[in-house]
Amino acid sequence: MDVDVPQGAVVVSVGVLPRMARAARDGGEGKAMSLEKVVFGFFILLAATLNFGFFIGDIADPTHHNVYELFAAVVVNLVATVLKFGDRTQIGAVHLATSLVADLQLIAAAVVWAYAVSSAPAGLDAHAMASIVSLSGGALFANVVSVVLLVIETVSFQRR
Amino acid sequence: MTVKPLLAYLHRVLVADDEAPRALPRAEPPSSAVFLILRRMRTPLVVLIAIYAVSVLGLTLVPGRDGDGNPWSMGFFHAFYFMSYTATTIGFGEIPYAFTDAQRLWVTFSIYLTVIGWAYAIGTLLALAQDRAFRHTLAMQRFARRVRRLREPFVLVAGYGQTGRMLGRSLDALGRRFVVVDIDATRIDDLELDAFRADVPGLVADARNPEHLVLAGLGHKRLEGVIALTNDDEANLAVAMAAAMLRPDVPVLARTVSRPIAERMRAFGSPSIVNPFDRFGDLLRVALRAPAAFRLVEWLTGEPGTELPPRREPPRGRWVICGYGRFGREVVADLLAEGLDVTIIEPGLAAADDPSIIVGFGTEPDVLARARLEDAAGFVAATDNDTTNLSVIAAARRANPDIFVIARHNDAANARLFAASGADYVLVPTELAAHEVLARITDSLAARFIETIPRHGDARAAALVARLAERCGPRVPLLWRVRITPDDAPALSAWLARERRPVTLGELLRDPAAPDEPIRAVALAVVRDGRTHRAPTDDFVLAERDELLLAGRRSARHALATTLNVAEARDHLLLGAHSPVGWLWRRLAGRGGEERGRATAGSAPAGDR
Repeated sequence: MDVDVPQGAVVVSVGVLPRMARAARDGGEGKAMSLEKVVFGFFILLAATLNFGFFIGDIADPTHHNVYELFAAVVVNLVATVLKFGDRTQIGAVHLATSLVADLQLIAAAVVWAYAVSSAPAGLDAHAMASIVSLSGGALFANVVSVVLLVIETVSFQRR
Repeated sequence: MTVKPLLAYLHRVLVADDEAPRALPRAEPPSSAVFLILRRMRTPLVVLIAIYAVSVLGLTLVPGRDGDGNPWSMGFFHAFYFMSYTATTIGFGEIPYAFTDAQRLWVTFSIYLTVIGWAYAIGTLLALAQDRAFRHTLAMQRFARRVRRLREPFVLVAGYGQTGRMLGRSLDALGRRFVVVDIDATRIDDLELDAFRADVPGLVADARNPEHLVLAGLGHKRLEGVIALTNDDEANLAVAMAAAMLRPDVPVLARTVSRPIAERMRAFGSPSIVNPFDRFGDLLRVALRAPAAFRLVEWLTGEPGTELPPRREPPRGRWVICGYGRFGREVVADLLAEGLDVTIIEPGLAAADDPSIIVGFGTEPDVLARARLEDAAGFVAATDNDTTNLSVIAAARRANPDIFVIARHNDAANARLFAASGADYVLVPTELAAHEVLARITDSLAARFIETIPRHGDARAAALVARLAERCGPRVPLLWRVRITPDDAPALSAWLARERRPVTLGELLRDPAAPDEPIRAVALAVVRDGRTHRAPTDDFVLAERDELLLAGRRSARHALATTLNVAEARDHLLLGAHSPVGWLWRRLAGRGGEERGRATAGSAPAGDR
């Protein structure tokens, strides 16, 4: 992938190589590993994996779901959302939308948790736990869509 | 893909005819301010989230004690609550139990951390509000929105210098909408200071960039004209070109003082070209040949509402021109074409190879002596420097007190000096261009009428001037056009369609509130079936689908509009001030028409025929 072509070089060859060379010469994002892209992908994936880690397990059993994992999922999701700010492309808009959905669901889950622990007469029972986990399940779905978009973006960039 | 002939046909018949043959250029929305904020705020927000996360997490991990001294650690809910009010400096105290020293240590650390986070975020936001690029984006967006929301026909004016400003005021006085693009921010700020009746969107941008023109409404459905009036001929050319290529259906007016540029403009469509120097030369010829016609042209192209001072007529004889630049050349060519002798004084090198030109400065005594000012009839101070022009005028007047002086006035700031200089005619190229543009965009009928005035003889022009002065007073009248059609004049059109009684022009041009008073307006021309009747008299009988060109005061325009649109006002005017019973009685007595005819003939002077 890393074909180093100096500025203004004339590339005369057939097939996939010239295309790659052109992409490299134009200083496009396909040129080299971009730190921005790494951070972006990292947060999107981390948001999805943390969410999945919290979600997995018996839906009504509080011992299967760690509150610190939920906290981390909320924080990482918020960071992922902010990273998606300011992208005006169509795919950027959908990215932002999926993140906002995931935030909404996870924050709702956190609120239910806080209510159950501190104010609900029954405390953190099976019913409350099921609500929290199902909300995080919704967020997980949004996060999966986000990851799929990331993959599509990457693949379509290579094909261009 | 299957082709459906019927559908295709229907589409062609029903849709294609309504649509413009080519798509209008769409304005690209400028980079949105919201996106700019979001992009700039990315780092501060991530920092803030991280700081909150660390603080809250730390608070849940640090060991504390409950009210009874048992080991206890804070839940996320309480930790977040505590951090929220601490970070925003509200500070409700230590809840739910007093903190242990370990917790206090962590909270101290968190407080400083969050203050830094907030300061960074708010600082970035404030810096963004001060940012020039950001404010420019905001201004662009606001401008684009204002243009998009225009629901009336408007003209796009590129360049808001002296000419643009005069034109803008006149357009506003005529109730026309316009949009301004100028590269100079102070001129756009002046838009806010000028007290316009209607909202005038203004954009600080380079008019040479077609994107800016599109933003200013070049693709707008209601655009009815593009006017290029910048100081830069190249920029005017660029505007004319962009308008001709992107909106071939819209008329373009461009100012230039250079003939090669004018030729290049003509290569794109057929823009109207306004060359104030050339125009002045033409006017000077008219003034020499037909002074009354010149006066009439001046009247009809002036800024409505201003008063024109009395003028001396330019004499025939030998003329002396000081300054042989572009303006001087135009004037000399026109004077020579009139068969007059011309003496040229030019200090520049351009004149050195022509022996007939006196080389030197017009202020030097020996140069003036060689030009023999004593027996010259006229003098033109034609340089592009106001100080030079004023000093040569003073010198010329000293040599020959009776000489007819024409001064070229370049900078608006020197208006008082030129007024005091005693020149018989002060030419302000910017003003001339504004008048010309105004006459052309106000109405093509008016433009045609004005252009053909000199050809129709001085006597007729003199009569029309006298009539205008009598009816409308000493101030420059407003020009407007009226069509007697069911759309534009429903009341009058209905009256004529029923053929109750023929209506003469003299009858129509009266005030519905006081039917014996003529309104302060004069009909300049009536167009019927493609033929133009110039200066129709008061007994001219109107017919349906006539097109009238009128000059008069604003009040007259309103009064006439009332008569044309409101059936009651029409009846009151045409049937007399009396009640219908009185009219019926008069109809029976058979005196109605006669009486009315006499009243009209008595109150209005006969027109020139």
